[in-house]
Amino acid sequence: MIRNKKAAAKASVLAAAAALLLAACGGAGVDAEASAAPTDAAEVAACGSYAIAMHAWVGYTASAQVVTEIAKANGCDISQVTLAEAGVTYDAMEAGSVDLVIEDWGGGRWQEWADRGALVQVGDNGNIGIIGMYVPQWMADENPDITDSANLNKYADLFVTDESKGKGAWYEGPPGYTTIGEKMISANKLNFTAISTGSEQALIDVFTKAAADKTPAIGYWYTPQNFLAKVPLARINFPANDWTDPEQASGLTDYPELPLQKLATPKVIDANDAFTKIVKNFTWTNDDQNEVAADIESGTDPAVAAQKWIDAHADIVAGWLK
Amino acid sequence: MSNTKETMFIAKPKKLKRGWLIAMLFAAWVVLAKIFQGQATLVLAVPEDTGVTTWAGNVAASIRANRSDGASFKYFFNPIREFIDGFVTGIREIIAIPAGDSSIPLLGWLGVIAVIGFVVYAVSHLRMAIAAVILVFACGALGLWTDSMDTLAMTLAAVIMSLLIGIPVGIWAGLSDRALKAVTPILDLAQILPTLVYLAPLALFFLIGPASATIATMVYSIPIAVRLTAFGIRGVPVSPVEAGTSMGTTKIQLLRKIQLPMSSRTIILGINQTVMAALSFVVIAALIGAPGLGKPVIDALIIRDVGGGFVAGIAVVLIAIMLDRSTSAAISIDESFVPAPASARRRRKLGLVSAGVATIICIVLSRQLAWAAYFPEQVDISKPVSNVTESSIFWITENFEFLTTGLAKAVTVGILNPLEGVLSNSPWFLTVAMISLLSLILGGLRSAFITLTLLLAIVASGLWFDTMVTFTQTIVATILTMLIGVVVGVWIGRSTRAERALRPILDAGQTLPAFVYLIPMLGFFGPSRFTGIATGIVYSIPIVVKIVGQGIREVPTNMIEAAISTGSTKWQLITKVQLPAAKKSLLLATNQGLIFVLAVVVIGGLVGAGGLGYLVIVGGSKPELQGKGLIAGFSILLLGLMIDRIAQYTVARNSAPKH
Repeated sequence: MIRNKKAAAKASVLAAAAALLLAACGGAGVDAEASAAPTDAAEVAACGSYAIAMHAWVGYTASAQVVTEIAKANGCDISQVTLAEAGVTYDAMEAGSVDLVIEDWGGGRWQEWADRGALVQVGDNGNIGIIGMYVPQWMADENPDITDSANLNKYADLFVTDESKGKGAWYEGPPGYTTIGEKMISANKLNFTAISTGSEQALIDVFTKAAADKTPAIGYWYTPQNFLAKVPLARINFPANDWTDPEQASGLTDYPELPLQKLATPKVIDANDAFTKIVKNFTWTNDDQNEVAADIESGTDPAVAAQKWIDAHADIVAGWLK
Repeated sequence: MSNTKETMFIAKPKKLKRGWLIAMLFAAWVVLAKIFQGQATLVLAVPEDTGVTTWAGNVAASIRANRSDGASFKYFFNPIREFIDGFVTGIREIIAIPAGDSSIPLLGWLGVIAVIGFVVYAVSHLRMAIAAVILVFACGALGLWTDSMDTLAMTLAAVIMSLLIGIPVGIWAGLSDRALKAVTPILDLAQILPTLVYLAPLALFFLIGPASATIATMVYSIPIAVRLTAFGIRGVPVSPVEAGTSMGTTKIQLLRKIQLPMSSRTIILGINQTVMAALSFVVIAALIGAPGLGKPVIDALIIRDVGGGFVAGIAVVLIAIMLDRSTSAAISIDESFVPAPASARRRRKLGLVSAGVATIICIVLSRQLAWAAYFPEQVDISKPVSNVTESSIFWITENFEFLTTGLAKAVTVGILNPLEGVLSNSPWFLTVAMISLLSLILGGLRSAFITLTLLLAIVASGLWFDTMVTFTQTIVATILTMLIGVVVGVWIGRSTRAERALRPILDAGQTLPAFVYLIPMLGFFGPSRFTGIATGIVYSIPIVVKIVGQGIREVPTNMIEAAISTGSTKWQLITKVQLPAAKKSLLLATNQGLIFVLAVVVIGGLVGAGGLGYLVIVGGSKPELQGKGLIAGFSILLLGLMIDRIAQYTVARNSAPKH
């Protein structure tokens, strides 16, 4: 039996090798069918294959999906790679496993990678990112002075939970996001404990529950994000950062407004194909992004939602391809 | 019988004394912790660094700066990365990603399924081949064909390379005592190293992508291949080896003709275990850029898409079942020594030939016709599966909220917060002294010395407070795991029917990636420490139940019969005879439980549990905190080592022959 099995194993290896050889030589008939399809052959040749980094938030998905659909329509071979924000993604770009970040919130964390030639800052993508700390609207209605950070300590007791060690629970953004909660707490001398939330969805749960059950909550949120249209939140006003002192890194009092960036690998810039044009020219407003994001959130397939926007804004898209 | 009584007599006062000592220690600990509450806790805010973490950050920055033109990268790390990338891409191009200029992989879906069916048929039998085909097809029906193939390709690539390294090293360790001595500590270390720990250092050298993911998987699976191969070679009876030597065979002949064939069963078992280890790494490897089924699971975790995560999790389990059963079937075929009758052999030959022809036809079809090349979208059942999952989870959350939040609150307020008060919220020197004393009582002087050294190393790292936060969660999760695990373990140890009913659930529990049930846990309990704890409990219960059940079953029947004949009740039988007799298994189960819990509790950092796991994850995405993340990983390792050492010395002390 052992001998028989050995023979079988040998036979299977041989057969597999033969099959692969057969497959490799045969030329895929499927390809012939594909090129017979009504796509412009010249266009197909005009674009390379690229990987777009995908981040967790739905606004990012909206932007990346629109770029994906336009690039695919122009013959580019696009894959999407899910990764955490910033460092992880920059490393992936250095390794060549990702070519594009369409919406970077890192605020220049990529500089070291750019200096090494691993990635290129392509420019603003048109969206302005605002991160802040929010409470449900009903809290601001009942206590109008709560939106002034100077009064937060007065209300700290309202926010105490089992997790917050006797201080107010300050729901921080997910670990992959840009967060400076602890720096803000210490710079503003707040009686709060930063609690990391695992995901954007966890934050959404916290705010939705706080709005529906009228429970107190304070947490991280940002725009552009369609969620604010569904659950009204009030932003807490902190004193603006004093940027005159370059050593302020440990004294950040609030999140700055951030023009969001496009980052690409040198490969994208050098290729000078359709994808290069799309990446360089892509720019849209927070409203545009929210429009697509709203569709995705309500259950539309991201590709369909993106295509809907592309069809409705043919002139803008045509401008990106020039 | 009189003999047992005597040992019990001698053992009892000693045990009593130790119990008292531990109780007194705990009492003193609680009182002192209360008095010095909140002092010298060494708490460190997330953005703050210590000397050690700053140093690690600088080292990491200089490594990053060296990546493009440093000699070690140019001539060592980058070539390795490129080689592995190339190898992985080659395998992926066969089944998963478009090969070269083509729009499809070398094999379309029909071709892949045919080849899998044929290979499984060749190494086992027809029934298994049909099952394998159905399982792979089901992955496609879940709408995850490409991701499943990527996972299969990544697993295959990692397994091939793990075996290429692991089997030779294992043979060497099987033949040479010195080699065994050299590799054993490394193997032991690898076994207690939580997987989350080595992702960041690997990413630092091999960047983010399939190469890093493959190397990480290999770190996890090579030790298993080495261990089982060495074990197999050492298990070969002495007489055939001596007979061979006396007949003057060379060492190579001895190995090829006697030792390897006679240990082939264990080696195939080693291959099976290596495959399973590689597959269990699929999801966590997605954190450093592995393509495949890990991606949708991580996506689902981030947007908390319970249904989507579950669908991807099922696909992982289907592939696990397929690989596990077909490699196990290969072992069982190897077992039969009775030669098959000629007619059966002829039939099999005929079967192989016709299956081979059918496979080739399928391959050709899969490259020529669109329906055989692209997996048909019409059979996609992912939507209903995900909807059913989602609505049932939703239903549970809606209707049992009092239970889920009640449970979380009870554990958090009743155990977690008080224990944190003692461990992390009291002065560090008190905690260090008390854990060392506990280790002295449990495991002896050497255990105490090692514990003290490791604890001081953690203090020196600057991440003492976060380590104690993680340690507290590990202890709470292990206590709950043991409570449940011992009850269920005793049950399956006493009843064969229960064992048979629960075994498939336990097996599935061991293959389902922890990330998959982390998602609904997040739904039940929100972002909290308890979410991580609950996930750790679910992950470690199967192994604890299995070890305890095994221990109970191995209690000698004469002891049980003697107890029954003296008229003890069922409760007395369990508590006075079976559990004490299975003490060694209970200790072993506790040790395994602790290590398993630690590996998953740190993943809780992704869902608001804080502690070292959170620092590891934050360090990955925020370059300025990379040093802190690396040191946090190292602290997890130190903590794991400490737990393991205390447990090992305690086991050794308790199973030492009494004089």
